[in-house]
Amino acid sequence: MNIELLSRPGNAAARVVLAPGENLTSESGAMIAMSDTLALTTTTHKRESGSLFAAAKRLLAGESLFLNHFTATSANGEVFLAATLPGDMLRYDLRGENLIVQSGSFVACESSVNVNFGWQGFKSFFSGESVFWLQLSGTGPVIISSFGAIYPIEVDGEYIVDTGHIVAFQETLNFTVTKAGGSWMTAILGGEGLVCRFSGRGTVWCQSHNASSFGHELGPELKPR
Amino acid sequence: MQIHISRAGSSEGPFPVEQVRQMLASGELKPTDHVFHEGLTNWVMASQSPALATPGGPPPLPAAAAAPAGSGLLTAGYSTDARREFDYTVEGRPDFAFLTVQVPANQTLKVEASAMATMDTNMEMKTKMRGGLARLLTGESIFVNEFTAANAPGSIGIAPGAPGDLEHVYLDGDTIFLQSSGFVASGMGVTLDSKWQGLKGFFTGEGLFLIKCSGKGDLWFNTYGAMFCVNVSGSYVVDTGHIVAFTDGLQYEVGRIGGYKSLFFSGEGFVCRFRGQGKVWIQTRKLGAFASWVWPFRPVERSN
Repeated sequence: MNIELLSRPGNAAARVVLAPGENLTSESGAMIAMSDTLALTTTTHKRESGSLFAAAKRLLAGESLFLNHFTATSANGEVFLAATLPGDMLRYDLRGENLIVQSGSFVACESSVNVNFGWQGFKSFFSGESVFWLQLSGTGPVIISSFGAIYPIEVDGEYIVDTGHIVAFQETLNFTVTKAGGSWMTAILGGEGLVCRFSGRGTVWCQSHNASSFGHELGPELKPR
Repeated sequence: MQIHISRAGSSEGPFPVEQVRQMLASGELKPTDHVFHEGLTNWVMASQSPALATPGGPPPLPAAAAAPAGSGLLTAGYSTDARREFDYTVEGRPDFAFLTVQVPANQTLKVEASAMATMDTNMEMKTKMRGGLARLLTGESIFVNEFTAANAPGSIGIAPGAPGDLEHVYLDGDTIFLQSSGFVASGMGVTLDSKWQGLKGFFTGEGLFLIKCSGKGDLWFNTYGAMFCVNVSGSYVVDTGHIVAFTDGLQYEVGRIGGYKSLFFSGEGFVCRFRGQGKVWIQTRKLGAFASWVWPFRPVERSN
C-alpha cells in the first residue's frame, strides 16, 4: 500500500495505491475518485461484526456507521480520498498501540486496522454532541484529516486541549474531560466549554481550527432555515 | 536553447540553459520544479530534462518526490501546458489561485463575468452572452466579458469566485468539457458551448450542464479546493461533484459503484464512470458538501 498526500496543507487529499490483495477501509463519503478495477463494499462499522440492533442504535445516536472497503483484486488500483472541510492530512502508522480519533477526522486505514465504534471514553460528556470517537488498534497505516493545520503535541506530564481541537491521541495517555475555568460559570462565559486534561506520556494531534466554532460563526450570517 | 520554468504554480522564462543550471546549482530552482524546452512534448521535472543533464548525472530527486509504485497504468499530478497564446502568471496555487494575463495591443480575452479583479486603464470591456440560451439555465453566470487592450498592451488580473486552484490548457483543435462553474478565461479562438448532459446527469443533482470548449487558444479553468489530473486509460470512477473538466473522447456515464447497499450507504451515491483514453481534472473539495456541512448551523426561524 502506497500512500501519498497531495496539495497539503490547504485542501489536502490522499492518493492510495493498492496492490492485488490489499484492502483499504475508509469513512463513507471520503472517496473522490478511483480506478474502476477496485472492488467496493459497504458495511456497518467493521466487516462481519455488530448486530443490526447495535447498528440501528448508533444510527439513532447520529453516528455515521458506514465504512467503505476498497479491494484490489487482479491489478493495482488507486483511490483518492478527501475530507469536506479545508485542511491538512496526516499519515500515522499503528504498531500495536491504540489511537483514539475524533470521528470527523478519520479518513481511512488499512483494513487490518481494527475500527472500534463503541469506545466509551468520553461518552458521558459528549452525549449531546454529534462528535464521537473511534478507537483504532492493530498494525497498519491510518489517514487522518484536520480542519486547518494539524500539529502534534508530545505530552509528558499534563496538558490541556479544547475538545474541539483534538484530532487524535495515543491511548497511552490518561485523560479527564473537565471545564476550562475554576467554575462552571467561567467555563460557560469564557466560551471554552469542555477541555480535555491529558496526563502521562504520549502524543496528541491538534487541529488549528475548531469546526464547531466555525459553524457557529457562519450560521448566524445565513438566512434561517 | 531557451528553457521555461514552472515553480510554485507560475511559469517564468524562458531563460538560457546556463542560467537555469546556475539556478539549480544555487537551489533557487528545485530538481522537482518543472521545465519545458525544445525537444520536449510536455513539462518535465528539472532533474529529468535532457537539456539540463550534467555529465555527473542529474541532481538526485528527494525521496518524497519520487513517483509512487503505482500500477503504471494511471498517473496523476499537475499538468501544465507549455504552449500558450498569451503570457500569463498564476499566483497563490493551490489554495487561492489568481490569474494575471498580458494582453497584446488590440487583442481580446474572454473572461467569466465578475471575475475581473484588476486591470490596466486601457483595457476595454464588452459584455457578451456566450453559449446561447442554454447557458441561462445553468444557473451560472450567463455572461462572458470581453476585454480588449485598446491601442497598447494591457494586463488583467482575474480572480475566480471560489478559493482554489487554476489550470491552463492550450486547445489546438481539441475539445475539453468543463463543469459549468469552472470557466475562468480563454482566448477568442476558443468557442464556448453549453452542453445538455441529458439523462446522464439526471440523478446527480449537480453539474447537469457542461461547457464544451473547443477551437484554438488558451483556456483557464478553476476549482474549489486543490486540483489534480488523472490520465484515464481504461475505466475510472469520479464522484460527480469532484469533476472539474475532462478531454473529449472519453465516454462517461453516471452510475453506481459497489452493490445496492453501497448506493445508499457508502456516502458516494452516484458517480461518473469515464471510459477510454483521456484526462480528467478533479478537485479535492466539493462546494455542495461544504454547503451541506454549514446547513445545520443556520439559525432556526422562530414561529412568532
